[in-house]
Amino acid sequence: MTSATQALARGFSSLVVLAGAVAVWWGAVILFRIPAFLLPTPDAVFARFVFMAREGQLERHATATLSELGLGFAAGAVAGLLVGWAFDRLPLLGRLFSPLILLLQTAPKIAIAPLLLLWLGLGLGPKVVLIALVSFFPVLTGTVSGLAAVEPGYRDLARLLDLSAAIRFRRVELPFALPSIFAGLRIATTQAVTAAVVGELIGATFGLGYLLSVGQENNDAALVLAAILMLSTLGWAMHEIVRAVETRVLAWR
Amino acid sequence: MIRIEGVSKTFSGPGGPVEALRPVDLTILSGSFTSIIGPSGCGKSTLLRIVAGLETASTGRIANEGEQGRPGFVFQEPVLLPWLTARENVRFPLDTSGVPRAEGDRRTDELLAMIGLSSFAQALPRTLSGGMRQRVAIARALSYDPALLLMDEPFGALDLLTRDRLNDELMAIWTATRKTIVLVTHSVEEAAYLSDTVVVMSARPGAIKRIHTVDLERPRGERTKLDPRFHQLMADLRRDLA
Repeated sequence: MTSATQALARGFSSLVVLAGAVAVWWGAVILFRIPAFLLPTPDAVFARFVFMAREGQLERHATATLSELGLGFAAGAVAGLLVGWAFDRLPLLGRLFSPLILLLQTAPKIAIAPLLLLWLGLGLGPKVVLIALVSFFPVLTGTVSGLAAVEPGYRDLARLLDLSAAIRFRRVELPFALPSIFAGLRIATTQAVTAAVVGELIGATFGLGYLLSVGQENNDAALVLAAILMLSTLGWAMHEIVRAVETRVLAWR
Repeated sequence: MIRIEGVSKTFSGPGGPVEALRPVDLTILSGSFTSIIGPSGCGKSTLLRIVAGLETASTGRIANEGEQGRPGFVFQEPVLLPWLTARENVRFPLDTSGVPRAEGDRRTDELLAMIGLSSFAQALPRTLSGGMRQRVAIARALSYDPALLLMDEPFGALDLLTRDRLNDELMAIWTATRKTIVLVTHSVEEAAYLSDTVVVMSARPGAIKRIHTVDLERPRGERTKLDPRFHQLMADLRRDLA
């Protein structure tokens, strides 16, 4: 009961802050007479948003970005989990590949976007690969450090009970590593949205990032802001979904 | 009966090989309660882990006649899975070895009743006290009904009162099940109170120094603790350890 009221109060206060920010924006546009092609008023952006939504444009572009995000994030997360597990199972593999992984991890992955577009064209492919790549590393790091933190006593227990590698992973090691894996997943969601936008900005015929570049070419700030609004909503939703799953899965904490 | 013959252990350390355990010969009778005491680093835990199959011996062999199958093992820490309830933790070895659900449930509930935690069956480990957690760990080790129960300083981290109570509970479990129990401990009182045989080890490299046969009558209880022979035994054990 109290936690519900607390959540309500928190929601209300964030709403007040949001309304304040919109008011400052609106006031600044009027006070400093900012031209609409540089910064339109909030109601103009909102009108544009509604117009595009009604036309189905927004849905088409948002769906494209969302499917890139979904596919890329899932592929990157699964790959990160599997490779992390392999590194833990075969320490030699981990030792051999960790310098290479570190190198790839520190290199700005966004920089290879042009290369991916060159290889894979303007379609969904290069964006999915880029998103998968940026999601892969945080999940890999989270998995490796989570599995390394399993206390030796539990490994003894697994040995004593003759657990097979699969059962040991699923019933002992994975649950221990989950908090760290989820930390990786949360980092991955934010990076995934950035990667989607970059991929679409560089070369695309659809997607919210494409809308951004169209807006820029046409001096249409309302379009750019509407696309940004949609992108932050997507990013926020992904983050919240991961957090909701985490709260459920890690309820025992 | 378990015959330990010439079992030794040498670890490879940074400065060359380290001899943790000199060749040990020891016979543990079926259904007996044996304690191993010794100073830190005397290899008593290593010996226990070798018997459990958690470490491999560098030399020697262990002949196991009658205590086949997975031994039960209780660690110094409870090593419970924190996301499972007390009941699920006790049932864990049964779940992972394909014991039918109904059979596992029946066995688990019996054990929870035996350790007096039936009303805490649905509690998560973090909500249990240290003594309760170690009780759950003991029940888990007994879940698959092993003939041999190995315990590595299981009560070392508990306060004295809890420790005394758990000693009595362990003795009751042993009396009821007649399992072969090997207990590694730091406490001369615990060893003298519980055991049929107390093995004293010396440190670095570990070796057996003396084996005491305890002739105190059973059942043991508060009266045992007043018995002069009990105090004589503790004094002997302390002298051996010094």
